[in-house]
Formats: sequence, C-alpha cells, structure tokens
Amino acid sequence: MGRFRQTWIGLVSEVSWRLPGWPVKLLTAFGQAERGSFYDMLAAAEATDRPDLRRKYFEHALDESQHAIYFRDRVMALGGIDRARAAMEEAGALTSRGIVGGESLYERLGEIDFLAFVHVAEAEAIEQFSVYCDRELPDPETIAMLQKIMPDEKFHTAYPLHELEQRRKQGKGKQVDTALRRVKWNRLKEGWLRFSRDVGHVMSSVWLFLLYAILIPPFSLLGKVERGGWQAPRRDRRPLAVAARSQG
Amino acid sequence: MSTWILGISALYHDAAAVLLRDGVIVAAAQEERFSRVKHDASLPVRATKWCLEQGGISIGDLDHLVFYEKPLRKFERILANSVATFPRSWRAFPRQMVTWLGSKLWVRNQLVATFGIQPHKLLFSEHHLSHAASAFLCSPYDEATILTVDGVGEEATTGLWRGTAEAPFIEPLAEVRFPHSLGMFYSTITALLGFAVNSGEYKVMGMAAYGEPRFRAEMDKLLRLEDGGAFSLDLDYFSFHYHPTQSYRPRLVDLLGEPRMPGEPFRPTAIAGDASAEAVARNQRFADIAASAQSAIEDALLHVVRAAHAEHGGDTLCMAGGVALNSVANHRLAKDGPYDKLWIQPAAGDAGGALGAALWAWHCVLGKPRAATLDRIDLGRSWARDQTRQILDDLGTTYEDLGDTSTSTTRAAEDLARGDIIGWFDGRFEWGPRALGHRSILADPRGADTKDKVNARIKFRESFRPFAPAITEEAADDWYDIAPAARVPLRFMLATPTLKPEREGSLPATTHLDGTSRVQIVRRSDHPHFHELITAFSGHSDTPVLLNTSFNLKGDPIVASPIDALATLRRSELDTLYLDGFRVPSPD
Repeated sequence: MGRFRQTWIGLVSEVSWRLPGWPVKLLTAFGQAERGSFYDMLAAAEATDRPDLRRKYFEHALDESQHAIYFRDRVMALGGIDRARAAMEEAGALTSRGIVGGESLYERLGEIDFLAFVHVAEAEAIEQFSVYCDRELPDPETIAMLQKIMPDEKFHTAYPLHELEQRRKQGKGKQVDTALRRVKWNRLKEGWLRFSRDVGHVMSSVWLFLLYAILIPPFSLLGKVERGGWQAPRRDRRPLAVAARSQG
Repeated sequence: MSTWILGISALYHDAAAVLLRDGVIVAAAQEERFSRVKHDASLPVRATKWCLEQGGISIGDLDHLVFYEKPLRKFERILANSVATFPRSWRAFPRQMVTWLGSKLWVRNQLVATFGIQPHKLLFSEHHLSHAASAFLCSPYDEATILTVDGVGEEATTGLWRGTAEAPFIEPLAEVRFPHSLGMFYSTITALLGFAVNSGEYKVMGMAAYGEPRFRAEMDKLLRLEDGGAFSLDLDYFSFHYHPTQSYRPRLVDLLGEPRMPGEPFRPTAIAGDASAEAVARNQRFADIAASAQSAIEDALLHVVRAAHAEHGGDTLCMAGGVALNSVANHRLAKDGPYDKLWIQPAAGDAGGALGAALWAWHCVLGKPRAATLDRIDLGRSWARDQTRQILDDLGTTYEDLGDTSTSTTRAAEDLARGDIIGWFDGRFEWGPRALGHRSILADPRGADTKDKVNARIKFRESFRPFAPAITEEAADDWYDIAPAARVPLRFMLATPTLKPEREGSLPATTHLDGTSRVQIVRRSDHPHFHELITAFSGHSDTPVLLNTSFNLKGDPIVASPIDALATLRRSELDTLYLDGFRVPSPD
C-alpha cells in the first residue's frame, strides 16, 4: 500500500467516521457497492466462455450478495436513517443496484480489463477496510463484520491477479500492464467525475432555488392547483399525424 | 413487408419495451429483468436489444419507436404545480428542475442517441392514452368503457374512455387531474404505514385483511366522492404535490395517529404472538388504517364505474394503470360493479404503457384494424437448453437432465407432494409483475407451516403477506366462489375470490385471513407445462392447487436467466430447482 494513499485514506476516514450520520451513509454506500458487484459478477459469470472463470465469478457474486446483507444489517442496527430510506430498506431496495447503463461491466471492459478492474477495486477495498479496523474507527460490531469479510476480499483480489499473471506468462504482459494502468486511471477519472457531478448538482440546486425565489413569486399569484372532479379532456386540435410526433 | 413498432416506457418507474410485428406482440419485457434493478426506470436499453433480437431485426428496420407519454406536457404540469404551490414547493422545485433539465426534458434526443433511431420515426403517445390502449386494444372485446387510474401521467390521474371496434378506437370522455389522484391517495397511506411508495402498495392491501375499516369516516374526509362519479382529495392533508419526499402533512398524523416505523414487526390482534398489549393496539391501528384505505379506494372505484355505466352503458370494462393492480378492489368491481365483463391488462402499471404506446401507434395512428388479443403472457426471453447445460457444467452443479420441461412435471409433482419447495423456471419469462408459472417458487398449499417456511427460509419477507394459489381452470369453480366478471382477470392473478365454505381450512398456505386468495386460474392453452404440473400434483394430493409466488428474493427483480435462478437457489433454502427440464437439487 502506498504511504501517501494510506495517509490520505486515514485522514479522510478519521473525519468521515466521526461526522454525525456518516457511518450509516458509508455503510450504505459499501452495501450498494457490494450489491452492484454481485450483479456485475453474475453478469460476468453468464458472459464468460471460460468454465473455470465462470465458477470463480459465480462464487465471487455469492460472496458479494452476502456482504451486502452484512452491510445492510449494520445500517439497520445503527439506525439513524430517515423514514423514506427505512421504507426503501423494508422494500429491499436500500442496497438494490444492478447493471447500470445498458451494458454490464464485463461487456464494457472485456475479460482482461474486467479482471484488472476486479483486482484493483478489491485491493482498494481491503486497504480501506484495514485502515478502518486498524484505527478502530467504526463501532466494534462493524469492525468484527469487516474482519469477517476480509478473507473473502483477499480471495477476490487473489484470483484475478493469478489470472493476470497467467496472461503475463502467455506473453501478454504488455496487455496486462496496460489494462491495470487503464483501470487505475479510469477509477481516478470516475472519482473526479463523481465529485464534479456532486459539486455541479449542489451549484445548480442553489441557482435553481434562487431562480425559484426570484422568478416564481409574481406568477404564483396567478397559479392555481387543479380542482378535483371530472374535467373535459384536453382536445388536441392538431392533426393526429402531427400531434403524434410532438413531445408536447 | 411487415410493419415493426417498438413501444417504450421509461424515466419514471418500471421501464419496458414491447415489439409489435403487424400489430401482434413479438416480445415484451421490463428492463428490470435484464438490469436487475428493481422497478428500473432508465431507458430500456437491454430490453430493447433483446426485443429486436427476438424479432430478428435491427433498429433501422423499425417503422416507429413510440414513447409512452409526452414529456413536455408533463414538464408543463410540474412547472405549473410548482408555481401554484409556491412557496411550499421550494424543496421540490430545484430537485425536479435538476432532473428534468438534466435529462427528462430531452427524451427525443436521448432516444435518438441511445437507440440510433431516425428522428422522423419517433412518436409520442400520452400517459393515460397508453394505459387505455394497453387495456382495450389487446382485449378480446370490440367495444368497452375504459378506465385508467394511477398516480399521475401528464396531467390526468384518472381517465375515462370509450373503446370502439372501428377508428378512432379510443375516445377520451373525461379525466380527473393532478393532484386529485386515487393512486397518490393510496401511496400516501402506504408511506404512512411505513412502506416504500410505488413499491409497497400491495403490502397495504395484504395488511388490510387484519383490520376493520374503523377509520372510514376519516378516509372520507381525505377522499371525497362527488356527484357523477367524480372525486377529489382534501389537499390540506397531503404534501406529495409540493414536497419531494414527504407525502402527507402533520394534519394527517393528527387525524390517523402516529405513522408506523418501517420494518416494525406487524403484530395486530390476529397474529399478536408474544407482543405487548401496547404494541398489539398500535399495530391493530395500522391494520385498521390499511383496511379503511382499502375500503375507501374500493368504494371510490365502484363510485366511478357505476357513474360511467349509468352515463355510457355497455357491459364491458377494460382497466389499466397502477391502481388496477389492486386485486382486492378488482374483485369488488367484478362482484359488485355494473359490468358483466372485466378485462385488466396484466402489466397494468407503467410498464404496460410500452404495450399501449405501440398498440396506439398501430391502430390509432396507422389506422390498422384490431389484430390480436393478449392471452399468453410468456412474452419475455428464454434460454436454449444447451446454453443452460453449459452453465450447469461449468459451475460444477449436480443435476439431472429430465429431457424437456414437460417430462419434469412428474418429478416436480412428486417433490411438491413430499413437501419440498421448488423453483420453477420454464421457457420465456412473464410480461407484467406477476409470476404465473414461468418463473415461480412453488409449494404444497395444504401445509399449515408452508407459508412461514416459504417466508422465513426463501422469500425473507413479512410474515403477514399472503401467498397466491394457482389452480387449473377445470377445478377453479369447485374450489372458489368466482364472480363471472372476475374469471378473465383471474388468469392474470388480478382478483381475490373466496375459498368455498366446504373447502375451508384445506389450503392454509394460500388463504388470507379474510378467506380470500389472489388466485391464478391456469388454462392449458396459456401455460401447458404449468397446467400439467398442477394436474400431476393433484394426482398425488387430490388438490389441483399449488402455492405460487414469484421466483426472487426480497429486493431482487424476478429471476430472468438460468444463472439468476442458480444464484437464487444458492442464496435461499429452496429444496430443488427445475430449470427448463434440468433438475437441480439444493447443494445443502
């Protein structure tokens, strides 16, 4: 583990685990990541044509499903989630995250990049969990839970690394190195994009609120909530062929 | 040369794609089955890809791609409502605008960019028109009154329509507009009772059987029935029209009492167990609220259809929209309503909008005559047996190859009669939210402990929720009191008849506290393998009924692929999986 990265994780974690409400947010995010990973691994197990990898992906998927349950249980035990989120949990949706964007990770990346991704992502998770446990940041039950899943995470890091090493032995070292570099770069880029999106979201919300506060009041005098009861349907005077092509 | 039309619903909840060839359904599937995101709202990229594969065409071969609603009109309603509810809409406005300006407003561009469709092939239906089309145009009836009821579309929350044999096929008669919405009324009570909106409504329906409608007077304050089949909400109790996450105002809590905490064990009087007297009283209040809301919505629907019948006559009612999935209310309409025939589109929620949009384009826009009715609902994807065998081998799974599915019914019936709980995966998956014998978990309904076993070991869901029975068409009338108008909806598990008195106590696992069951009548022509299985089970048990619940675990969409089914087998305590003719025992 790089010293800089370790220090960085340590510093961020010291703050984030101590902020009120954040442990629940962090555990929820981990649960969602595990759940998403379950579906990604299952999709990979379906798509790969390598029998040995299919089995490993499948077992990996089942581990992730179990981990998602562990995280969800900790979230529920720690409480502090609002009614809406708790209701989602009761619907089983708190950790629901499937294959987003139309293609599974495996389909997007291909076998080598996918293996590189799994290896890098799982290794980073181990780094994070180790820092949390070493610094005793979460509550004791959560630490015990993280320690319980750590051996699984080690398997999840080891088998893709072994696969990548095999590829190296087959003379595909350059391809493997490129894949690892690309995956690390993409993870950084995605992190940055996520951060930018969040900042953009906050900024646009502020602007839109100002717009709301300044522009809407004069019109609000004219605005009326619809009355109840039957009303005549809106008649579209345009020819059907024209109206059917319109979004409005 | 064939005409190909793809209908799409998306960007609110339950995205779906439906492909028509010359007006006949070739493929229909919800995106959640592929993406594994429950109620997935994103553009149905994978469902569309599969629909096109199933049709053997590419996107360029489509004559039209039809979106199920008009986004600009919806945006207009949201803006107008934000203005009308100023300043209370201050929380919702920025959120809604971020979502709309960032994505939802640009549906045309998204469809072109995502699917590569030529812009001139795009059509846009209307939300309730799509529901109406889905309800009527694939029904077996030439003429009907059509009722569409849900949360909200563009502006309408309830629509009354006339369906005709000839063009224009569907004529609007009247509508009720947002925020006066039966769907939002029920969703608000769902939220008060600690369930997720747009997801937990059927739990309220299940909870209702444990209560008495002693809050009916209060419900009548919230939902007022007016002359001519009209209704309105008293908006002083609701906040869903201006608040992004909170559906009700403190006044509603003053009226009905403290809300239920999500996840709180439900222990009303009938299933009190060792709960404290205080907990039982509190839970009984929740059950009574559920019963009152259920009673109110049933009465409201009856009020609407009686007035519609009085004014427009006819003997047939077709229904769609999320509220039409309330099977208890549907049965009441069938039993006490004025119509002799009732047809409810099995994917009555927003997913069904994709079907309606496509049918609307074919009949109403292109002017084509009525084509086919929707009888079979196995319209989703299937997997080749060789592909399944390869997966089983690769995973090192122990299995028996029983040949095709029809030969495995005998073994499955034996397992079921022995008390096993099995996963049943047969051919193409179902269209709509119900598992009707193609992706089902099945069990013997006679065991007193079967319900608890399935809940605790497999489904991991609330113990108060009932399981549904599937019965052969030939035996249905011997076991249940079936209102004539409920017969067709029961093919899609959309009504709740009562077990005959002489059968009382014989099906404890599938009979709800009030003696009703959400029955599926299984016709041989619709589900040949499932029918054969139930018949074979009857040979062992003299009971032509099986407990049938969807093949998924809590929080998951219903399984789609063999690998989903195998993962579900491993993550639960199912005894055996029947996978397109392969028998896979649980590894434990």
